[in-house]
Amino acid sequence: MSAMNCPMSSSIGGVRSWPSTTSGSAWGKRIQKEIAEFNIDPPHDCSAGPKGDNLYHWVSTIIGPPGSPYQGGIFFLDITFPPDYPFKPPKVLFKTRIYHCNVDSNGNVSLDILKDGWSPALTVSTVLLAIRSLFTNPDPYNPRVPSIAHLYLSDRVKHDEVATEWTMRFAR
Amino acid sequence: MGSDSITNAAAVAAFSREMGKKKRVNRYAKLKQCKLDARREQWLSQVKNKGGEDSSRGSSPPSSLHETNEGNGSLGHLEMRASSGISVHESDLESPRDSLDSSNSDNVLRKDCPRTSTSSRSGSSGCFSGSVSEDEEGDGGPDDWEAVADAMTASDNRQHPNTETPVRTETAVEPGAPKEFPKNGCGVGILKPEWKRTLPRASTINNCRAWRPDDALRPQSLPNLSKQYTFPMTGERHCIRGGSQIWGCHNMSAQPSQCPICCEELDFTDSSFLPCSCGFRLCLFCHKRILEADGRCPGCRKHYSPVDGQMGVSGGTPPFRAARFCSMSSRS
Repeated sequence: MSAMNCPMSSSIGGVRSWPSTTSGSAWGKRIQKEIAEFNIDPPHDCSAGPKGDNLYHWVSTIIGPPGSPYQGGIFFLDITFPPDYPFKPPKVLFKTRIYHCNVDSNGNVSLDILKDGWSPALTVSTVLLAIRSLFTNPDPYNPRVPSIAHLYLSDRVKHDEVATEWTMRFAR
Repeated sequence: MGSDSITNAAAVAAFSREMGKKKRVNRYAKLKQCKLDARREQWLSQVKNKGGEDSSRGSSPPSSLHETNEGNGSLGHLEMRASSGISVHESDLESPRDSLDSSNSDNVLRKDCPRTSTSSRSGSSGCFSGSVSEDEEGDGGPDDWEAVADAMTASDNRQHPNTETPVRTETAVEPGAPKEFPKNGCGVGILKPEWKRTLPRASTINNCRAWRPDDALRPQSLPNLSKQYTFPMTGERHCIRGGSQIWGCHNMSAQPSQCPICCEELDFTDSSFLPCSCGFRLCLFCHKRILEADGRCPGCRKHYSPVDGQMGVSGGTPPFRAARFCSMSSRS
């Protein structure tokens, strides 16, 4: 239907959807550029790359930053790019279990730049850096798991103990 | 000379075909048709917003480009003068006779090559018939001064019905003109600068000179002028000859060459497009796409204000319009 409207759709206030053919190749170029840039200058303690041939499905690892209860752990993430990628945020899923108030047991992350705060100017690198900073600075006020956030706020030591234990158990 | 004129004519004919539809030339032939559509729409909406005056402006440039090409490519300065009509006419009366002689001798050279270019032009362009008929006349190679004078007055008469376009350009050029041609004052409607500009161009670009360097009657002021104007003019020529790089010389220097969103190359339209006050640049295609969604600038995450978008676009367009109108006004 959008293809039918496409050639003659008038300019005045006519909002039309773009043919999918363009988006595929154009955003493919963007993803390829991100791969190249990521390989040239990867964020600290992070790695990422396409899983197999599919450029829209990446696997990433983040090493738990020193000084946090996640230190020494290696956390795997799945990154899935939507077809309209730079305009919509990638979907990031923790494949490694983690005791974190912003990551639920299914691996979903609550991070504003992955939702409303997304900007097409952001890249995989910036997303991974933001996630990595969640390790050191959890955001208990926008929790994915309220109980962990509560513990984090009420008893930080206890929280860190559990987090370290989980890291030892799942992330090594 | 002939081959130059042919390639020029071909490039500009293709160009003017686009322009006839009030479209910008797209530098990337490989770009998808869809991207062209996007531009088209954006332009159409701009034109609509700016009202009727704009649309009429948009339709006139092809003629200017035609004449630009004729003037420098194949036809000698005689034709240029003939087509440059009103302004040059008067000043030419004082021009020495041997300039005419030299050009007449050039006519022998020109006899065959302009024909080919003319035919290719008339065949492919089809959007400005006036210029074609004009240089048919010029090509004829007037034999004597009377014939030249007749040709000039004839073309003058023919030009007058067309003068609505040059007249309108006077208003159109003013804002952007100083940027593009700071030295020559753009010569819109001013007789003298026009005359001065036309002559050096004829003498440098064509090899048929209006005044030979050793010409005794050559006005003293000419050498400086030709030096002054040669460089920008030839620069422009290069751009036009380059075909794909038509607006290359006007392009930015310190801007991103790729759209940070889609990683496609930014063309002239895109690089003169400043949709947000934060300075974040992106291509029109991505901009439109974002407007269809949440309409926030990727750089600062603020909502694009409609005013900003319009200003960015209109701020970017006058320079290139002005360039075209300057070149047209110098000849029409």
